[in-house]
Amino acid sequence: MSNNNGNSGPPPAPKSQPPVRILPTKVARIYSLAHPAAVLLGFAVRFPNLVHDPISEMLNAIPFLAASQVVFTIICLPPAGGSLEAAGSGSSSSTSSGFSSGSSNIILRPGRPARRKGGSGGSGAAGAGVGGGFMGGLGGKVIPSILSLILTALLATPVFAILLVLFGAPFTTHHAQTALCAAHMALLTAVPLVYVHGVDGTVWKEVWGASRPADAVWGAALGTCVGAWLGAVPIPLDWDRPWQAWPITILTGAYLGFATGTLLGRSRWLFGKRLRFTDEADTVENKKTE
Amino acid sequence: MPGVSGVAAILIANVLIPLAIAIFSSGFFPYKSLSSGLARFEDKEDGFEAPFDKVIFMVVDALRSDFVYSNTSGFVLTQSLIRSGAALPFTAHASSPTVTMPRLKAMTTGSTPSFLDVIFNIAESDTSTTLAFQDTWLAQLKARGGRLVMYGDDTWLKLFPGMFDRADGTTSFYVSDFTEVDNNVTRHVSNELLRDDWSAFILHFLGLDHIGHKSGPQSPHMFTKQHEMDSVVGELYAKIEREEHLQSTLLVLCGDHGMNDAGNHGGSSSGETSPALLFISPLFRNMGGSRLQSPIDIPDDFQCYKSIDQTDIVPTLAGLLGLPVPLNNLGVFITDFLGMWQSYSQRTRILLANAKQLVRRLQQSFPDFKFEADQDLDSCTTEPPTSIHEVQCAWYRVIDLIHHTTNVGEESKLEPALKHFLLSAQGVLIRAASDYNFQYLILGIGVMTLVVLLLLPDVYKILSRSIHSGSFLAGLIMFHSGMMFASSYVEEEHQFWNWVCAAWLFFLHVKVTSRGPCVPSGPEFIANAPISILTVAKQGTVGLFATHRILRRWNQTGQKFAAEPDIARDFLPSHLYILWALVTFTYVDLYVRLSSKYRSYRLWRLICIIVTATAFFFKLGSVVSDSPELLGDAYKEIFKRVFDKISLITLSRLVFAQLILLFLYMFHARKESDRGKPSVKSGMPRGVFHELLTLFLMTQSRTTNIPLFLMFKLQAHTFASMNLSNIDLTITCLLMQYMTFFAFGGSNAISSVDLSNAYNGIDHYSIIPVGLLTFVGNWAGPIWWASATRHIRYRQTWQGKKAHITALTFHIATSLLCVMVACTALRTHLFIWTVFSPKYLYMIAWALMSHLAVNLSGEFS
Repeated sequence: MSNNNGNSGPPPAPKSQPPVRILPTKVARIYSLAHPAAVLLGFAVRFPNLVHDPISEMLNAIPFLAASQVVFTIICLPPAGGSLEAAGSGSSSSTSSGFSSGSSNIILRPGRPARRKGGSGGSGAAGAGVGGGFMGGLGGKVIPSILSLILTALLATPVFAILLVLFGAPFTTHHAQTALCAAHMALLTAVPLVYVHGVDGTVWKEVWGASRPADAVWGAALGTCVGAWLGAVPIPLDWDRPWQAWPITILTGAYLGFATGTLLGRSRWLFGKRLRFTDEADTVENKKTE
Repeated sequence: MPGVSGVAAILIANVLIPLAIAIFSSGFFPYKSLSSGLARFEDKEDGFEAPFDKVIFMVVDALRSDFVYSNTSGFVLTQSLIRSGAALPFTAHASSPTVTMPRLKAMTTGSTPSFLDVIFNIAESDTSTTLAFQDTWLAQLKARGGRLVMYGDDTWLKLFPGMFDRADGTTSFYVSDFTEVDNNVTRHVSNELLRDDWSAFILHFLGLDHIGHKSGPQSPHMFTKQHEMDSVVGELYAKIEREEHLQSTLLVLCGDHGMNDAGNHGGSSSGETSPALLFISPLFRNMGGSRLQSPIDIPDDFQCYKSIDQTDIVPTLAGLLGLPVPLNNLGVFITDFLGMWQSYSQRTRILLANAKQLVRRLQQSFPDFKFEADQDLDSCTTEPPTSIHEVQCAWYRVIDLIHHTTNVGEESKLEPALKHFLLSAQGVLIRAASDYNFQYLILGIGVMTLVVLLLLPDVYKILSRSIHSGSFLAGLIMFHSGMMFASSYVEEEHQFWNWVCAAWLFFLHVKVTSRGPCVPSGPEFIANAPISILTVAKQGTVGLFATHRILRRWNQTGQKFAAEPDIARDFLPSHLYILWALVTFTYVDLYVRLSSKYRSYRLWRLICIIVTATAFFFKLGSVVSDSPELLGDAYKEIFKRVFDKISLITLSRLVFAQLILLFLYMFHARKESDRGKPSVKSGMPRGVFHELLTLFLMTQSRTTNIPLFLMFKLQAHTFASMNLSNIDLTITCLLMQYMTFFAFGGSNAISSVDLSNAYNGIDHYSIIPVGLLTFVGNWAGPIWWASATRHIRYRQTWQGKKAHITALTFHIATSLLCVMVACTALRTHLFIWTVFSPKYLYMIAWALMSHLAVNLSGEFS
């Protein structure tokens, strides 16, 4: 993972969106930490039920997961539609006021006036008007969150189902399990992504190429996918345990990955860094051989 | 290893790999020390009256228990014998390896043979494993002055050279033949039944096993074959009942092993280890005991009626024929036959003879334990600490009862005590670890470690040059090595490769996408390549993913999910039009590719048509004769008539001859063009070799696997368009080789070795060609990808080639090292013979054949 800053990256991504910061309110900062833990805890509590009857448990959990994800995004994340910059500029101006992510290597696009929406400007400016800013922004947050839910259901879930099958999910059987697993993964990943980025083509291209800069949202998405991939490891073991059934381990991996990814993505060591796989050595080597 | 690097390191490493394998194998597969000589009755008292003096031993290869006992069985007459009480049915547990030669050893000596016998079973020409000087019930009969005759599988002739007075052997490895092989046995039956000079008449039928190998236990041929075998039993029984000289003849009908759902054997699944066993004689009807039901419902684990161990045949036969129990026997007399003796003392005498012989075996295996001394039973009142102590105590109890039988009530305790001792002694002896040569094991591991250390600096340099791919390969090697210690991951190794392959494809996708319009390989590439190639590369990963997903479902393999439906065994046979459309398209596509390499020559095109058409025709012919269920009913008869007059062997030889001629011509043309002769188009297209190889591999693959080559081509095309770096190509080559090996239906079980194409063009067994064709048939995927990636890398410099070889050698060395360590560390593990040793054998094939003979020699051609 080479250290590339938000927009000093390669030429093809001049309009790349910077990594997303958690809103600088106190509630947001606390809740952003509590949310992954709460989701994980909920999953752990319901795990026996999941093993017992995966389909109905996964189905019943969807409204709760969707609600908690929406609450998380509304409380902690800047909605799509320009308020990104607001949050960003807020962060840079309030670095001194003890921001949780600290002084990471984000470089704001110079010379761009930060567009502000409603009361969120107040929150960004000083990081003091916590409650008021949050309440004021609520109106502008409902539409992105509804949009994110719709897109998650209509677009992200089928995409995840296809990806699951491509990665080895049963194709002829277990359709309900695969679809529900995809829905859970979509809720974990796509709701915050859509909420924050809307339908910004460049961002989704970066998501498709797995080259977003690390932040809580992208970390959660990548962590969910990697976790789900690692979740396949215990399936071939001959232990004959009920939890080895499809897709329980995958889902467990996804939830663990979600929590880890959320925390790692916003940590000071990884924030803003991208996965980049074209390294110089390859290029040099290639030229030599041709 | 400072100082040795580069070419020298590669060279030394690849010389040391076979050496390490040789050393380790000689320690891991030792010859078991067995006592020689024949058992004798020590004194007159040990002898007893025997109800039988002759035996007809009828072996039906791969006769799984349900083939005789189930509702759908063809053994109707045999089942009526079970109902009448004349036949006593059992399921005889055959321990792994479930292949013919070790099973015959178990059924004649009563000992469990070593795993080495599997290899000798395949390398059949070896005669060093004969039983001519070992104690068997055959040798005992011979020593008593009896004559032996044998018809059937010539494994018997190899095991017992010179023992038979009359014999006619049939070859067991020519699996395409279902009828002739058994007719050659049956035609002797009526003649032999007229004679009274033999004491043992052995029949070994192979047809049923051949049907299993070719088309599985559900084959339409199966019922007719069972019916045929049933009529042989009927003839034998009728003669025994009627003829004066056969009155005291015992008929034994048994399978040497069973088969799994795919019709193969060698492993330890319940199907493979559960052959049927029946003792048949009219005398058994008078023995009393409850009448048994037949046919019965077959339980999932194939344990029908009473389950016994296969070695139990030996002491039982010895008892029924009045012979001393062979020295190396581990079997226990089947107590159901004690009813043949009325007197109580006779019964205990038989069990005691068996027990005394087992005590001698115990003393050999456990010299530290005493079994003679008349010790007091006090130490046995508490719970015995180990199983061997338990056996010791059981024996003391027997001795105690023999010496202190004062009243009649005590006497009846002796029989259960003897039974208890026999069973516990058998358990201990069978479990007793075989003796490895530990020094050789350590030495082999040492040499292998040296190889790994030797390559480590070079590999580190190569991997650190490109950090992501390098760490991917390092992680892959570490994961794969660690897996070798877990039995389920060895059984399910294909899951690992599929899992890693999916991740690698995603990695490549990200890599290609993130290149963007600025292709890192420089302007040279963009200028030379049409835009479409870039799009293919970018969108191709989706295609790669889709084909990868189809590949992994093509053949279900492994252990856990092997029975689940897949494309090759379930979908295609029920959608024959799709199968034949795909197969035909694969051949047509091959022709198009082959002919387009030399556009200007009309003659070349004609040659291409002839070669591909012959190959296709041969495949069709082999389907007609081996698996007619792959042809629709409408076409079956037509093709049968067409192929009736054509010898398949000639046809396959024609295919091979054409391929060889074209290869030779190609090399000639290559040389000419190197010399710069204008007569040949400059640079014989290198693609020709690859296409010819593909045709050869298709000829050596199962028909249902042929469409895989179509997908391989698509994938190779996409990989080629991606313009991958050297290390990426190495990883791709490695992944695709292993992944496709399993996609073709391979696994780490001996039973999954595919023999269906091992005899193309060969009419008799001979180790080298059959071995080679077997290897090609099973490693078709890896060979194809070795050639394909070589083709993609054709512009690679020597430096790049060196890195490629180093990485591949390092991978094979680390996996071999880990398998060796696993086999040594887990040598007392329950699964050592069923999981880890087969994996080691497969690793030998990967290292010696796939790595040294294919990958390495490919680099230098």
